[in-house]
Amino acid sequence: MVKIGLIIDNYHLEKKVMQFLEYCRNIAEVSIYVEEEYLLDFSGNKFNEDIFFAKAKGDLVLSIVKLIEESTQIPVINSSKGIFLAFNRFLNSVLLRKAGINIPDFCLLPLGLMPPFKEYIIKNIIDQKNYSFNPKINKEEGNLKVIDIRALEEAEGINAKYNHLYYQEFIKSKWEYKIYTIGEELYFFKQLPILVNPDKMKSRTEIPNIPEIAEMAHKATHILDLEISSIDFLKSKEGIYYLTDINSSPNFNYLKNGPQIVGDYLISRAKR
Amino acid sequence: MTIMEPLEIGILSKRNKGFTGKIKRYYEKKGHSVKIFLEGNLSIDNSLLEKDFYILKSKQLFYLYAAYFLDSNNVIVIPDTYISHIFKNRVESYFSLQKKGFLTPKVYMGNAKSFKSQLSINEFPLVQKPIMSSGSKDIRIIKSINDLDLNSEEVIYLEKYIEGNHYLVYFIENETCVCEKKPLANEHQKVKIITNDYEIEQLTLQWKEIYKLMFGHLDLIRERSTNKLYIVDVGTFPEFSNWKGSIDPIKAIGDSILFKYQLLKGN
Repeated sequence: MVKIGLIIDNYHLEKKVMQFLEYCRNIAEVSIYVEEEYLLDFSGNKFNEDIFFAKAKGDLVLSIVKLIEESTQIPVINSSKGIFLAFNRFLNSVLLRKAGINIPDFCLLPLGLMPPFKEYIIKNIIDQKNYSFNPKINKEEGNLKVIDIRALEEAEGINAKYNHLYYQEFIKSKWEYKIYTIGEELYFFKQLPILVNPDKMKSRTEIPNIPEIAEMAHKATHILDLEISSIDFLKSKEGIYYLTDINSSPNFNYLKNGPQIVGDYLISRAKR
Repeated sequence: MTIMEPLEIGILSKRNKGFTGKIKRYYEKKGHSVKIFLEGNLSIDNSLLEKDFYILKSKQLFYLYAAYFLDSNNVIVIPDTYISHIFKNRVESYFSLQKKGFLTPKVYMGNAKSFKSQLSINEFPLVQKPIMSSGSKDIRIIKSINDLDLNSEEVIYLEKYIEGNHYLVYFIENETCVCEKKPLANEHQKVKIITNDYEIEQLTLQWKEIYKLMFGHLDLIRERSTNKLYIVDVGTFPEFSNWKGSIDPIKAIGDSILFKYQLLKGN
């Protein structure tokens, strides 16, 4: 029987993987490494799993993944590089832009300076914690300015970590396109943008493959070294799709048979 | 040496004094134009692309972001961004040094409760270090589990404390300067210059060669019980405040950066 190691934090363990574990325990031996309980000894860990799956992105999770990569031949999904780049919004923007993927214009500015675009969204720079997008919407002289409250807290709050804000040019789009990537397979959905309807699942519908998006999604996951991810796209009034967000730890419960698809994928990728 | 056209040089630095200020003046005397980008005036956008090249003096996150942005837009950054990033992140640094065959202290990560429930008391004392840092800032000795905040969920990085003599070793090109220092002391504190420690000099030059560095520093400990040398910290751009070598560090580093720029531009 294949041995799957799940590297996870308490939040994801309690809320996101119940069906996944139920499925996997029928087809594999599952061991669980919980971030809040695990003591990582860089020289003393002996792993005997056939595959690891990281379903979190905290510092300890990242270091466990790195240790497995450095000290064994066991595949880890996603890689430490992929997890790190996915939560470092500025770095992934730089890499994706360089690779020729359409992403909205962006910049990182000290507090008090304004970006060169009329409409923008301020996003958190390091998207590592388990909290949701919390938008505050302003309209100034007819121009939309959206601020993710998390970004402001990181730059101006009591425990401010830095004094910069990440600005992304705002793309007006009727729909938000949500793509799940599991290996080479892509699953396409559309929903009303969260700014229009915060209940994203209410309007979400499955849609057929959109080749422009598929090409960018494959390219992005290759560049960022991600095997399992979710990627958001918006479509401008000129009909151009823009990649706006990428997540290394998607909620695959939203996908029909998602837990099984992910479980089967892990088995297929296990060390032989 | 051929006469160089005046250059527009940017320095990514957390302060405008010390080595940064001195190298700025050195370049300005040579006819170049230099702007120091401190955190407060560092806008990471296309306005950065107007300079000929950048010096990555500080390795704090936003300077690394700026350096990656510049790299991706084919603007030369010296020292190398990726190497600077690896040595800023203690986890990456640990694996990189291990892979290259250097001796490093044992490392543990977890939260305080995990340490309390799973770590043998024989492993203490340990040294707590921030994951993203270099130098001595926010480093402290953990003598027992009681030194940790057991109510905190924060993941902490602890290294085994090595009993022995502590050294700060600078190098510029092939010249080294070995200083003995107090445990956990920062670069600027009083040191004792050590001459003729062949083993330390060779280790430092080996590190320089492997990572293709022009200058930098190592913090080493020679373990009292085994006489083995451990690398406990690495830096790609120190202040050289205790440098006592024969060459002027400002001139030597200033010139080697310009030489590297010409080399990279030629390629």
